[in-house]
Amino acid sequence: MTHVQKIVNIGLLLFGALLLVCIFYLFIEPKQDSDKNSSPPPPAITSEKPMGGNFTLTAQDGQHSLSDFKGKLVLLYFGYTYCPDICPTDLGSLSMAYQRLTEEEKAQLQVLFVTVDPKRDTAERMAEYAQYFNANIIGLTGTEQEIATVTQQYGAVYFKPQQKNRENYTVDHSAFIYVIDQSGVLQTQLPHASPAEKIQHTIQTYLTQ
Amino acid sequence: MNTINLKKTAYALTLSLLTLSSAQVLADQAKHIEVNDPFTREMPPGSPATASFMTLKNNSDHAIKLVKASTQVSKKAELHTHTNDNGMMRMREVPFFEIPANGQTHLKPGGNHIMLISPVQPIQAGKTVSVTLIFEDGSKKEVTMPVKSVMNMDKNEDHSHHHHH
Repeated sequence: MTHVQKIVNIGLLLFGALLLVCIFYLFIEPKQDSDKNSSPPPPAITSEKPMGGNFTLTAQDGQHSLSDFKGKLVLLYFGYTYCPDICPTDLGSLSMAYQRLTEEEKAQLQVLFVTVDPKRDTAERMAEYAQYFNANIIGLTGTEQEIATVTQQYGAVYFKPQQKNRENYTVDHSAFIYVIDQSGVLQTQLPHASPAEKIQHTIQTYLTQ
Repeated sequence: MNTINLKKTAYALTLSLLTLSSAQVLADQAKHIEVNDPFTREMPPGSPATASFMTLKNNSDHAIKLVKASTQVSKKAELHTHTNDNGMMRMREVPFFEIPANGQTHLKPGGNHIMLISPVQPIQAGKTVSVTLIFEDGSKKEVTMPVKSVMNMDKNEDHSHHHHH
């Protein structure tokens, strides 16, 4: 082996080693970061049937109680207006289901959207957001305590994980559509990502009962 | 502060080292990826973010990782996924989406998606949006897609299922 070859070989070896160290640092280190910042366990969703029940919350035009809608079928959904994907997906499907109803069916239905992020979701913001979905949705907010009580009644859970972006934070939340009958009794819940036709079918089933 | 600087240095070094060595590995992953049915969801009013969805098809015999996305329409673009943990929906940033060899990866509402954070202007139906996909080897693919409203999605997707009874 010539002297030059030796130097080239050593150079290549060093090059490879340095590259490995860099890649190792970039890809392994961030993982430790996220482990360090891992959040405490969120609240659990129980398998028991939630009790449901009456509640009073605030919309842009004032207070609304579930009992105000006696005689109508009510669909209740918990989410938040900064919700990047889950809420638009479910409210979009709900909207499509609503569009397919007859005028008579629409008149017998009320959709309520309750925020789990009352800190950012004012009544005005809820109204603007709810209106976008074009399904006669009433957006409701309340104090932290009021929201905690209502979600507990319906077995909905929400949790703000630790995150680097403190202003534009996201909230983990359960995403069921709760079906409340004409006398205010919780009947069933539809899971997240229920297709529009399933929502439509459920509405029509409870409207004819 | 120290960590950030170290990280920046490591990044710069890795990039320059990879550039040096890229002459030997000229695999262009972007060429093997086919993008189908891309769209971006219209933002509800005041929303701080929206998402792009599409199907990525890998026509090669090797798995390919999508590691980054960039766009002019929002301040940031991130790769995100959702997990459904017994009904609790959790959204998290992920380092990559893997497209299996000769397989497909679906980016769809409620699952994997490219999150467009802090849009520069409202992203409204009727407009188009361009997003650049960046693969593991640094190769890029620009995808131009329509903006669709959440209320109209089924008009394109499952038209054949209803209206024809």
